[in-house]
Amino acid sequence: MKKPRVYATEGSIWKSILLTFPMILLILLFTAGGPPDLSTPEKSIAFLTTFFFLITLFFLILYTGKTDRYRAIGFVTLALFFALTFIVNLIKARGSMTFSQENLLACEIPFCHIVTTMIIIPAVITNSIIFPGSIIGGFASIASMLVIVIGVSLALGRGFCSWGCFYGGWDDGTSRLAHKPRIKKVNPVFRWFSFAVLLVIALISAMTLNPAYCDWLCPFKTVTEFEKVTSFSILMKTIVFLSLFVALVIILPVLTGKRFQCTTLCPMGALLSLTNKINAFDVRINKENCSSCEKCVKACPTLSLTAEDMTAGRPSITCMKCGKCIDACTKSAIHYHIKGTPNNKNYSWARNLFLYPAFLLLVVFLGGTMQSGIILLINLIKTGNLIY
Amino acid sequence: MKKLLAIPAYLWAVVCLLIIPVTFIRNDTFAEQLATLSFMKVHPVYSGGELNRKYQQDSLTISVNKPVSATLLGSRKQQLQVTFSQKGHLPGIIDQTIDYDFDANPDFKVTINTASGETQLTPLVSDVRSCLASSKVKEDWVIRVNLDKK
Repeated sequence: MKKPRVYATEGSIWKSILLTFPMILLILLFTAGGPPDLSTPEKSIAFLTTFFFLITLFFLILYTGKTDRYRAIGFVTLALFFALTFIVNLIKARGSMTFSQENLLACEIPFCHIVTTMIIIPAVITNSIIFPGSIIGGFASIASMLVIVIGVSLALGRGFCSWGCFYGGWDDGTSRLAHKPRIKKVNPVFRWFSFAVLLVIALISAMTLNPAYCDWLCPFKTVTEFEKVTSFSILMKTIVFLSLFVALVIILPVLTGKRFQCTTLCPMGALLSLTNKINAFDVRINKENCSSCEKCVKACPTLSLTAEDMTAGRPSITCMKCGKCIDACTKSAIHYHIKGTPNNKNYSWARNLFLYPAFLLLVVFLGGTMQSGIILLINLIKTGNLIY
Repeated sequence: MKKLLAIPAYLWAVVCLLIIPVTFIRNDTFAEQLATLSFMKVHPVYSGGELNRKYQQDSLTISVNKPVSATLLGSRKQQLQVTFSQKGHLPGIIDQTIDYDFDANPDFKVTINTASGETQLTPLVSDVRSCLASSKVKEDWVIRVNLDKK
């Protein structure tokens, strides 16, 4: 059965173009940061490809009424280009993906948003940050990343996990690889695991003054940077994070169709679920329209929807606002909603007001990363060397 | 009444929309302001701690920091950072005896091959445990030593 049109822009080219126009200006601002640099053919290709790629995605989100389908393309692209550019930059700067004792002693480790979960308690108790990074200046300084974490928490809450996180695209991508998941039913109790990880990691990090998740568990060290293996304990850590990457980012997402790492292991996701109350946006279920087909339950990549949640009229606090359930619903019973406004009204307003900050977050992270990545790939084709 | 309550909700949604561009455009300014807060400093376990004394031995300048607690609660573990520096290049071998508590008795002897990084630490008192880290950092050589609290 064809889904009825619910959004003003759906199927309307002119309305979609009109609402894409402000985003074109924002994309121009955040991808070029001024007049675009078209000084070399490589830079021109990189800029124009990125620019039109982002505009097309946003236009299609508006025109088709499908959010997750086009969000995911941008989100997975972000994860791939982020890993590529990060690793190449590391190899250029340090000669390898590994960091050494010198980098640790000189406090030169880039700060990642996930570390936030481990520094809060020690910051309160010791009045300092337990991370070997730079407070300000340099690449990914602590202060700069904390500003982003605070801003994103205020504006989108856990929406960050589906629109801005430069790691999330990995298991979002792998969870879509199999046309039909082999494991069809996953117990929703797994969605609470990340809260247990957050609690344990925060306490252990405070006790040991060591960001334990980064040190031992973070699977995304596989696609960014990791400690040079110089001892048995570092070898053990390497085996642990590589195993977690293979299991939670590749095998389980492929088998279940769920974002397993984000759902069960990421402490940042759990923290953002707790701060998610502040921002203006959530997802609601219109029970009058709902036929209880549970397509949304099957579609949800983070186990945030169960039959009980549908009765309650909203997904659980673990919802990442990816829009997959909204796309899956044939009755238009699920929609983005602005907290404090009447449910089941003004679907278009709520969706558009959410889409602008959410898509802009994707633009901010993907814009520069994609351009750098394209330049690297062009040089790879031209010279046969990625690190020139 | 519901319509009235919806106005601040929509306003907050518009503010959320503005927060994202402002966060990134003004990131440097906000980061500078955040960095001035009292807790925004790297913990001494990572920064190496405060300088205790700096002295000259042969051609080397030796900076001995104050020992720092390596865990939060109830542990006797401490870390000590010592930095060796010399104008121009570091010598091929650094061979020094360190009195970290300045009680006129040497506490440990350290031998560093600055070419290979091989470091040998010999405790001369019971509270000195082992060498935790030894590496060239910019133009200097830094060692971190595990200690037991006295």
